Amino acid sequence: MSSRRDFLGRLWTWTGGALAAASVLVLFRALRSAAPSVREAALDAAAVSRAVASGGAVVGELFVIGSAEAPVALSLACTHLGCRVAGAPGGFACPCHGSRFDAAGGPVAGPARSALARVPLARRGDTWIARL
Amino acid sequence: MDAPAPGAGAPSGGFGRLSFGFLAVSVLSGTLLVPFYTPAAAWESLEKIQSGLAWGFFLRAVHAYASFGVLVATAAHAVQVLAARTERQLPAGVWWRSVLLLPVTVAALLGGFVLRGDAEAVAALAIWRRILESLPLAGAEIARLFLGSVPGDLGAVALHHAGTLTLLLWLFTAEHAGRFIPDARGAVLAALVSLALAGTVPLPLGAPPAAAPAHLLGPWSLLGLQGALGYLAPAAGWLLPLAFVLLLGLVRHAEGRVRRALLATLAASCAAYAFFTVRVLLSSRV
Repeated sequence: MSSRRDFLGRLWTWTGGALAAASVLVLFRALRSAAPSVREAALDAAAVSRAVASGGAVVGELFVIGSAEAPVALSLACTHLGCRVAGAPGGFACPCHGSRFDAAGGPVAGPARSALARVPLARRGDTWIARL
Repeated sequence: MDAPAPGAGAPSGGFGRLSFGFLAVSVLSGTLLVPFYTPAAAWESLEKIQSGLAWGFFLRAVHAYASFGVLVATAAHAVQVLAARTERQLPAGVWWRSVLLLPVTVAALLGGFVLRGDAEAVAALAIWRRILESLPLAGAEIARLFLGSVPGDLGAVALHHAGTLTLLLWLFTAEHAGRFIPDARGAVLAALVSLALAGTVPLPLGAPPAAAPAHLLGPWSLLGLQGALGYLAPAAGWLLPLAFVLLLGLVRHAEGRVRRALLATLAASCAAYAFFTVRVLLSSRV
């Protein structure tokens, strides 16, 4: 037969468990709502023009190729584990795990399976706006 | 002569006492560094500590070597315990929390590495985030909990490095050792080793965060994982350590052939890890 002391002990345990579960749920929801939102980065139009004229160059956090009218921005984050890739003969190379990408950002060798992400660019006055 | 029964051997605490001593030196030196470190300006803080603060370079090296010492002594203690078959001297719960000391120490070391804010640290943070995000169900949320939600802000990493992980390390170590502070012999020996290393092998400052070197190396204790991730999916970054910790923890509950099989698997894992470590180091020299 369970005593009053046992009952209160179980009550405390269950109450503590319920409070802990509720805390985890609140924390989880707060962390989910803290997801980073899309941010905009302004790229100087002259720098973008110079980059495309030279066949491609780093502008800010991006590598810009294409034409002056329709530039294409590639993210420099390796699609394997997010290291910043660097320019290499024929394209890009990841300094962390050895992934290699061609000049258009396509995967060539190493553990990365997908191409460098293309970042949309929109003209706004004297700048190009990248949505990161 | 009969083999000793599991748990019947003498306590194997030599390296354990040293590990607790290293932890005390690491916490003390880390506390002294805190006033000079700003998570939002990590690289600048390191530059100032290294060259603008009297004895800053020495204090930083003492902190780093003492922290390395925690991991080395803990790993040596684990080998010592398994060789002497004394793991059953601990209650099961204490054993599992003691096993957790290894990944918690590695996580604390990784946090310290990321807090350097240099080019290698920036890459390590990105990789750490991707690996955590590959956890099922709540990966993105767990990554935000440990690494923060604002890119470039190391506040969350600093909090867990100096707070959560250090507290866990101290609590688990104290519970394992049965005392809240290290004994004088372990602490003095750990202090002497850390001071000697800091005085003879100074720690250099890393490359600036914007630098783009051809090769980037992670923390020395994770080079094997860095090498393995060159062939495996990101989830291997948490699956492999988890498997190792589970196998190590299960040794206490196994006997005879099963125990030998677990130990052989652990030894093979360590050999593979050493192979990948050497491979990464050699490829970085090309």
